[in-house]
Amino acid sequence: MFCCPSRSLSRRAAGGGWLASLLLLTGCVTAPQMPPIVFTGDPVVDGNAQLAAAPAKDRVLWEYRVAAAALRRGQDAEARAKLDAARATVAGLVSSPSAEAAQARGTFRAESDKPFVGEPYERVMANLYRAVLYWRDGEPDNARALMRDAELIDSDTENKTYAGDWVIPDWLDGYASAKLAGDGTDALARARKSSAHPLPDYDPAANVLVLVEYGRGPRKYAAGDQGEQLKFAADTSRAVSARLEVAGQSIALTPWDDVTYQATTRGGRVMDHILGNKAEFKKTTDTVGDVALAGAVIAAQNTRKEVKRTVIGPDGKPRVVTETVRDKGAENAAIGLAVGGLLAKLLAGAAQPAADTRAWENLPQYLSLATLRLPPGEHPATLTFLDAAGQPLPSRTQTFAIAIPAPDENSVAAAAAAPRDTAVFRSELPD
Amino acid sequence: MNLRLRSHRNYVLYASLAAAASLAGCATSGVQNPAGSPVVEMRPDERGKVVGTGIESQDLVAVTDKMARKILATPEIASAQTPPRIVLEPVNNETRFTINKDIFLTKIRDQLIEQAAGKVRFLDRAMMATLEREQRLKQQGLVTATADPNVVEFRGADYFLTGSLQSITTRTTQGTSDYVVYAFRLTDARTSEIVWASSAQIKKEGLEDAAYR
Repeated sequence: MFCCPSRSLSRRAAGGGWLASLLLLTGCVTAPQMPPIVFTGDPVVDGNAQLAAAPAKDRVLWEYRVAAAALRRGQDAEARAKLDAARATVAGLVSSPSAEAAQARGTFRAESDKPFVGEPYERVMANLYRAVLYWRDGEPDNARALMRDAELIDSDTENKTYAGDWVIPDWLDGYASAKLAGDGTDALARARKSSAHPLPDYDPAANVLVLVEYGRGPRKYAAGDQGEQLKFAADTSRAVSARLEVAGQSIALTPWDDVTYQATTRGGRVMDHILGNKAEFKKTTDTVGDVALAGAVIAAQNTRKEVKRTVIGPDGKPRVVTETVRDKGAENAAIGLAVGGLLAKLLAGAAQPAADTRAWENLPQYLSLATLRLPPGEHPATLTFLDAAGQPLPSRTQTFAIAIPAPDENSVAAAAAAPRDTAVFRSELPD
Repeated sequence: MNLRLRSHRNYVLYASLAAAASLAGCATSGVQNPAGSPVVEMRPDERGKVVGTGIESQDLVAVTDKMARKILATPEIASAQTPPRIVLEPVNNETRFTINKDIFLTKIRDQLIEQAAGKVRFLDRAMMATLEREQRLKQQGLVTATADPNVVEFRGADYFLTGSLQSITTRTTQGTSDYVVYAFRLTDARTSEIVWASSAQIKKEGLEDAAYR
């Protein structure tokens, strides 16, 4: 084995390479296969199928997606169940130490290994959707709780100018207080401060709450040399406002909140620093590996040296001959550098600095809110989406009915029950 | 020979290190506690492993137990000639936590019923729709009645028991702190006087993992 140094060296190097490749391959092929999903075209059914097949770390993501689709299709019970499940999971994850989250901070684990809870804008949207359902259920104070929580979620922005600057959560917070005979003026003032458009005063006698969403929300992508920076992108929405016509009333629905704006004004996260460190580690070890492997090549080229020696020839005369002999020092240095370089490359390859780009993809970009008074009965309504020039987008016009139940004046039960508003939720998004 | 042996040992060492590094780096599907945790039965007033800064079962038990005992000691209840009739009104939630609005008052009611031994009565307003339907059936003669169904026998309330949950939340880089006040009151339905009021308070704080900040 040791008789032929140069062959031995190349064999060992080749063997090391195969070993490294084998280790990398065997170490990385443990990701579970998702069972096949038969798509039906129904976003709720398909979303539930994907939820069932998804790894545990992605459950909240799928619950969010299914909830949004269910709410748009009027499947309130489904939306309620998914949002409650997701919010309970998120509350547990962000308030208790999580082993998975701790591991995601490690150099050799990806951020996307942690259970998904969503960026603050996604968690705020989960709160907003659930608040609509609480409003429908006659629990405006629980809706208000979610709006207060939403502003808290948005409170830790890097630039405090953008902290807690959602408009609808503050406006609804105060509106719920006004409906419950409380004082909502502070919340209304906060909402007005954050809003780009004039906001109406509260009308506690209004019995219809309208929330309209349109445009595609933000997408996430990884930027930076190592994909360690979380960035957001969004398509330009054709619809930039809407108009609701019902019972002789025409209500302008300006965009109160822009979800993309909220996503992009958060600033850096604590996790971004961790990912930055991971990226630096990956870059440094990769460079060290390159240098070491280059050194190994140079050393390998110098594992033999020529030595001149005086020998006595067959004729009895001394003569100088040149011999090629092994340079054991250079050989060991070549092997050491090669192994060290390989190790450094392995470490660099194993480091996972990429930002987590899992996203709640069926969110809207714009949100509009309105309240109005309608008498009992069924009222045909038309919702028109408008482009930047204020022109209608006919293909997106929606017609529907707003049903206001008549109170039972003679019923003790009806008199005892808390008054319940009608909450209308309409979306331009199909899924 | 010695040199050869030492070199051989080095290769084994390097190979082991490389193997360890690659395995550690690629263990992307490693799962902590893959078997999960078996279900453990706990007392509702016990603080479990899964905790948050929100309103939890141990808070509910502590608060309602305290409130029920205080209500029973109220002179209007303790020395009433006839059992006062109480209606529960939903709690007003002013915190940032969603709650099951009925659970606090239901728990207080159940404890009062258990401990009061008939000293107080509760009117089941949640059942009114069902009771009215039954009354109509009796009035129409579709079901039997043991008393005149046209006589109103639904009781009126002597007292209303309700409450509110209020909170102050502070969030800094050190964590989130939630101070929650659970306030309850008993209001005389005839005079609007508050005959009893009490509150309990709980404060919690925590900091989420850096992976979520």
